[in-house]
Amino acid sequence: MRAPYLTARRLTATLAALALGLVATLAVTLLIGPSHASLGTALGDPSTPDAVILFRTRLPRLLLAAVVGGSLSAAGTALQGLLGNPLACPHVLGVSAGAALAGVLALIAGADPVSPLVPAAAFLGALGTIGAVSFGARAGGRTAPHAVLLIGVVCNAIAAAGIMLVNAIVSYAQAQGVLFWIMGSLSTQSYAVVGAAALYASVGLVWLLRYSQDLNLLAAGEEGAFQLGVDVERVRRMVFLAASLLVGAAVSVSGMIAFVGLIVPHLLRLILGPDHRLLLPASFLGGAAFLVWADTLARVALGPAELPVGVVTALLGGPFFVFLLRRDLRRGMA
Amino acid sequence: MLATALAVAVAGCGGPASTPGPARPPARVVSLAPSVTEIVFALGAGSRVVGVCGQCNHPPAAEKVTRVGGYLSPSVEAVIAARPDLVAVVPSPGNREGVRAIERAGVRVLVVQDRTLADLWASIRSLSDALALGDAGARLVEDLQHGLDAVRARVAGLPRRRVLLVVGHKPLVVAGGGTLQDELLTIAGGDNVAADVGQSWPQLSLEMVVARAPDVIVDTAMGTEAGGQSLFGSLDTVPAVREGRVVTVPADTLYRAGPRVVEAATALAHAIHPDIGPPSG
Repeated sequence: MRAPYLTARRLTATLAALALGLVATLAVTLLIGPSHASLGTALGDPSTPDAVILFRTRLPRLLLAAVVGGSLSAAGTALQGLLGNPLACPHVLGVSAGAALAGVLALIAGADPVSPLVPAAAFLGALGTIGAVSFGARAGGRTAPHAVLLIGVVCNAIAAAGIMLVNAIVSYAQAQGVLFWIMGSLSTQSYAVVGAAALYASVGLVWLLRYSQDLNLLAAGEEGAFQLGVDVERVRRMVFLAASLLVGAAVSVSGMIAFVGLIVPHLLRLILGPDHRLLLPASFLGGAAFLVWADTLARVALGPAELPVGVVTALLGGPFFVFLLRRDLRRGMA
Repeated sequence: MLATALAVAVAGCGGPASTPGPARPPARVVSLAPSVTEIVFALGAGSRVVGVCGQCNHPPAAEKVTRVGGYLSPSVEAVIAARPDLVAVVPSPGNREGVRAIERAGVRVLVVQDRTLADLWASIRSLSDALALGDAGARLVEDLQHGLDAVRARVAGLPRRRVLLVVGHKPLVVAGGGTLQDELLTIAGGDNVAADVGQSWPQLSLEMVVARAPDVIVDTAMGTEAGGQSLFGSLDTVPAVREGRVVTVPADTLYRAGPRVVEAATALAHAIHPDIGPPSG
């Protein structure tokens, strides 16, 4: 372990620095956008277009990006720790796709994309998928980590096929709506939605943090953890539930945004070391800042038009994923 | 003229030399696009249609015709099974291979475009020619152009209003410049505030609605009106929101370069200028 031993002082200092970085990110990105808006004018008179642009469209979007990025990233960290596999993340395990399929079905059933029905359906889809994955990987009262990953991949394929099936059946206009929704977008959300997502995120994060020490012990091996008094099955169940809460809430308000739950946890694990007491809250803050920047790029890259944020995160995350795999391969050879 | 010549040229290179187009007018037609189906029926040749795509839902008589696959994914087998002597198609990346296979099977293929009004006039003329309908095409084009002129005339004295045409809510997708919908907006007395964004169907940040401040928001997104209201409701510096001019227009007629463009333009004119009277003629 290259990183120094975790002390209370190091924990506080690191998290404070990351929180400060997130606040600075929000402050800077509030001033970046496709339209021109002056902060001075906005603060002087709340009835100006500048104020509406900054505080009713841009700020809620930044906050939503932060909550979604944090949720996906913390869930990714927990799943990687739990399964002892660096490739585990909400996307690979099919949890995002399961949530998206349920959301798409709600869309097709006639729910408006901005109504609360779609988020509710997506949340149920995430829970259903994580349930299917953990149930499918259980045998004789034990859960096999490699089976979780395999069944997750299968669930991902099934959910993706379900989405394609729906897309093939519905009308051309609906299919286009579904496609955009799946690509992931943080646009057009109200403070009420941001608040709801933040509530889910904080419950999920606090829940995960209760098991951070258990996750550390699990990293030393299941047998060892068991001998140290960890109720392995219970930890596994609880972490699955907390992670699906985080992912379901995130997907329900933003569609499928790839790789946030993969890149950020790995970067932070490299920098901060493997202690989940630090890593979980740190990846929430880091993931929040990462997605805010990715979304800012998506908002301004094409001038007045914007890119789907899922495009930005996948283009950044895809090559990084390959890099990680290559590194693991070379280590295995050495 | 040029467009007609082109369409005939495209049709000519379709099948082998054994199918002499003009000598024997096609009696069994398959249409692979909703706009094409509407045009063929409007030309009075609906009885010759023996196959349509899954999205062809107008006129009602077209719904009774055999389906031969989706607009973007026609079934080559189903098309050939309908034993057509003419297949009319709007090109897309999704149907290119299928249409080539149909051509290889020796069926005459007519390719038409459906992105703009100019495309519509050319499509009507070349379909009319291909079906040997004499001046039916020219007359239909004239009728529709007169219809659009009538809409222009009704809004002529009125102030032009800045309009945003919403296609999808989440994310926010709107009609840009160079589209049929942009042309219809202009005819209906509106100026498209997204005409200069540089894409046909740009995705916009919500803040661009505030920055462009349209007088009217025409919402054609599927779903409820309440969705559009809650989406734009808090943007009260936007004139359309402040003055309650966020209006829904059914998407059905607006997105097809077919004979219902006059209906679409009329609906837009009423949405943009609610003060003009009921439609005349």
